[in-house]
Amino acid sequence: MSSETTASTERTADSVAERLHIAGLPAPGYAPADAVLSVRDLNVRFNSENGVVHAVRGVGFDLLPGKTLGIVGESGSGKSVTSLAIMGLLPPTAEITGSVRLNGKELLRLSDKAMCKYRGNDIAMVFQDPLSSLTPVYTVGHQIIEALTVHHPKMSKQATEARAVELLRMVGIPSPKDRLKAFPHEFSGGMRQRVMIAIAIANNPRVLIADEPTTALDVTIQAQVLEVLHTAQEETGAAVVMITHDLGVVAGMADDIMVMYAGKPVETGSVDDIYYNPRMPYTMGLLGAVPRVDISEKISLVPIEGIPPNLVHKPTGCSFAPRCPLVSDACLQGEPELWPVGGPRGGANGLPASGTHQAACIKTDSLGAEVDVHEIFHAPAVPVSRFDAVPRLERKTVLELKDVRKHFPLLKGALIKRRIGTVKAVDGLSFDIREGECFSIVGESGCGKTTTLLEIMEFHKDQDGEVTIGGLSNKAASDARTKNAMRKELQMVFQDPTGALDPRFTVYEVLAEPLENQGMDKPAIRKRIMELMKLVGLQPDHVNRFPNQFSGGQRQRIGIARALAVNPKLVVLDEPVSALDVSVQAGVINLLDKLRAELGLSYLMVAHDLSVVRHISNRVAVMYLGKIVEIGDVDSVFDNPRHPYTRALLSAIPVPDPQVERTRERIILQGDLPSPLDAPKGCNFATRCPVFAALPAAKQEKCLTLEPPLEPAASSQAAQAAPDQQFACFFPDGELDADMLVVHGAP
Amino acid sequence: MTNLNAIDPAAVAEEAKIENDDVVIAKSAIILRRFLRNKTAVAGLAIFLALTVFSFVGGYLTPWDKETIDPFNIGMPPSADHLLGTSQAGIDLYALTVEGTRISILIGLVVGLASVLIAAIYGCTMAYFGGKVDKVMLFILEALIMMPALLVVAVATSGGGNGLQENLPSWLLLIIVLLVFSWMGTARLIRSLSMSLMQRDFVKAAQYMGIPARRIVWRHLVPNIGSLLVLDITRGVTGAILAEVAFSFIGIGIKVPDVSLGVLIGQATSQVATFPWMFWVPLVVMFLLTGSLAMMNDGLRDAFDPSSGSIGSANRSKTQKTAKKNSK
Repeated sequence: MSSETTASTERTADSVAERLHIAGLPAPGYAPADAVLSVRDLNVRFNSENGVVHAVRGVGFDLLPGKTLGIVGESGSGKSVTSLAIMGLLPPTAEITGSVRLNGKELLRLSDKAMCKYRGNDIAMVFQDPLSSLTPVYTVGHQIIEALTVHHPKMSKQATEARAVELLRMVGIPSPKDRLKAFPHEFSGGMRQRVMIAIAIANNPRVLIADEPTTALDVTIQAQVLEVLHTAQEETGAAVVMITHDLGVVAGMADDIMVMYAGKPVETGSVDDIYYNPRMPYTMGLLGAVPRVDISEKISLVPIEGIPPNLVHKPTGCSFAPRCPLVSDACLQGEPELWPVGGPRGGANGLPASGTHQAACIKTDSLGAEVDVHEIFHAPAVPVSRFDAVPRLERKTVLELKDVRKHFPLLKGALIKRRIGTVKAVDGLSFDIREGECFSIVGESGCGKTTTLLEIMEFHKDQDGEVTIGGLSNKAASDARTKNAMRKELQMVFQDPTGALDPRFTVYEVLAEPLENQGMDKPAIRKRIMELMKLVGLQPDHVNRFPNQFSGGQRQRIGIARALAVNPKLVVLDEPVSALDVSVQAGVINLLDKLRAELGLSYLMVAHDLSVVRHISNRVAVMYLGKIVEIGDVDSVFDNPRHPYTRALLSAIPVPDPQVERTRERIILQGDLPSPLDAPKGCNFATRCPVFAALPAAKQEKCLTLEPPLEPAASSQAAQAAPDQQFACFFPDGELDADMLVVHGAP
Repeated sequence: MTNLNAIDPAAVAEEAKIENDDVVIAKSAIILRRFLRNKTAVAGLAIFLALTVFSFVGGYLTPWDKETIDPFNIGMPPSADHLLGTSQAGIDLYALTVEGTRISILIGLVVGLASVLIAAIYGCTMAYFGGKVDKVMLFILEALIMMPALLVVAVATSGGGNGLQENLPSWLLLIIVLLVFSWMGTARLIRSLSMSLMQRDFVKAAQYMGIPARRIVWRHLVPNIGSLLVLDITRGVTGAILAEVAFSFIGIGIKVPDVSLGVLIGQATSQVATFPWMFWVPLVVMFLLTGSLAMMNDGLRDAFDPSSGSIGSANRSKTQKTAKKNSK
């Protein structure tokens, strides 16, 4: 029945190739002869409690050797399932139809054993989470050699070892020969992902599938890994399928892009077509929903309302129609196929040569470049806070940190613990937040951002350093009363909206909890909850639902509503949007912006996504190993970064703009965060600093022995340009080491 | 099937409804559905319910009770007068079995439920407070595990507990003693589970809102380990029934004139050859009781375990769905 339903929707396109294809016969000249991987009409179904989920619906593409195809989509759009179906890694309970051809050989109906001949040999995969994709009990060398010997059993031990060393060197692991004997836990996340890439390219695969290869990594490490993927592709000449939700990551790498929505490709084309001339409202919305790190002008983001459709039910019309602002009755008349943009309709075969711009929208032709996406999606105006007009120094301080420290002792020994060192998670942090301001802390994982938040939330007398919240100092917080008063001033929004809500509470109970705790009476609570629901843009009659009945974005809105319940002055946001999809993220960011303006809130935000930070913050602090290395007004720090670390961070962020990506110079930092045990004596950053590496030895000495203080620029001219900016570096104007700079010319 | 592209207004309305309510199935509904899919478990549940009903209403179906002696039928095999025969004292075995089953189920349910409840509160409290509180409470728990339950039961129900015995029926005494010794294992399990729950953000959120510790344990921790608790209740019930049978069998549990399945089995062991019905009937009932609980437990585990293969494959149910559609 399934093939019949898909066929009937396709019947509109009456080309010979299409009909032959429906009949299950490969049409002559249907797939380009030189394609290494061609996928046709791939359909995947799973069973769930709600019924059969049609997770992938008619995906098709051709991959030419040496080319990169980026598959972009939100979670649940079927991109990972597509890759797993190609690799034959789906569970036997899934039903897969269609065709996947590798160099003309059909892969789809092969047995697991027959598939093993191809997997890891002709077609290899890099998974998302490097921490769990290596076996912890075998050495890295063993695992690389295993990949080699499985497919080349005759290879001698010396040969495999030599190849393993070569591979590790290729992916940029220092002293590869010694590292062969290292176990995965001795490697950092980025290094493990390099090893995964080494294993994937061990047998010179024709096709390399990378499923969100950098999502679990920090920006600076992401830049390194993308660089490694690039080299790996150059070395092996493999075709790469890059699956990601981040439009920035693929902008610089991919040749072609396929945008997926609800299990179907909705727009395909070359990178430039998709980014500069999108013709499907969904793609346009996605591009408008991403905040840009390289643009200072504040425009609100494009929110895409609603949630992706449930794939248990066959969409009656265009699957995007319920969320599309341009929807008309015609959109509900059957699901649109991919049409060539600007070309004749229905005439071309279903899947023309790769790179042709196609979009699945009946209004494709009216959506030219001149259409403003902000207008289409009714993006709200940029909200203005009443505090914006008041100079910063005249506003009240809502939070002040003075020299806050958090050191953890590092102990060793089973019976008698001895201290072998100290982890300085937070080391002498001072900053303040004024009314109506959003202050962000950025940095790589392990730099102490989260510890800082926890120190503030703890609010304890015995803390090292002083935390003042709304005039209440932690030094005076002896009794529960002061603490309760402080809890009224300060609330928190968590990173993972699912984990932050008790699954057994209805929304009403979730929101009532803080109010009950403040001793409010029942009718007042009910009134306040209705207010809150409206405030965060949820339907008030949804209060009796459980959190699992909401989408991720709605859950985060509930989390925000809970934080706002007691009318706090300051809200702490711990990566508030990092767990959300791009289109949903935009809505939440707009909401946060609106609330800040309307309620005069202050935010303390921790985030690793610098684009989000730039969009929402007024001031920003960059942290490295427990210290602030640069702090100041967000525009001056982002447009004119002085500390080399800030410069490296900013250059590592991928921008969803292929032109910029191709010509931009990147600072690729060497190595990872140093272990806290051998933290450098002088400047923390000296071990990875691109400026330091280029300095003459005499000046290097200063970096190694003295700790640079956090102060405004020395030269009066620079200080005047950005009076609020402070940084901790001796040589902010020093030249960068050439080895660490990478520029990709146009391919 | 041919005209798929036309929109059926009813279908649109249905879709809208689905968008609103039906898509997200409540967890309890999923669990029930998965449980019902396991036929063995459903059979187990049916047997258990039937036995429970039997133990309460079975007494009214016979003119005899557990105390009336029938002087004309002493030690008689099953007959029309006495469905399951009589004991060597001339008491109707059917009446005895009904009474014994009720006591056994009562003991099982009370001990199973109460011990899990105690374990949940004790374990959650330990996990929530941690540190010194955790250490002291863990010590008490370990000490109880070390104590030989058998001896305490023997002392309490026979020699030592005379005062108690006068005031309480022997089955209540046994329940109390069994309770004291049955919750420790579960409590340790719950402690470790709650410790991992403590790391979840919603507990942190409650702490940052200034919710008192007592409320967090009761409102956030206990309900969230509910699925484990349900599993542990059925396991606890089985354990309690078996313990009662074992104690009564060796003569330190339920005391005559109270009867239980264990007492019946224990009394009959010496005369298996002469009065076989006296031995086999209560034994079969006991097997049905514990066996049905074990069958149920298996299904419950399937229902609660999200990774179990209870969903089935896409292929199979699609054909079922097709069949349904075609039949419409």
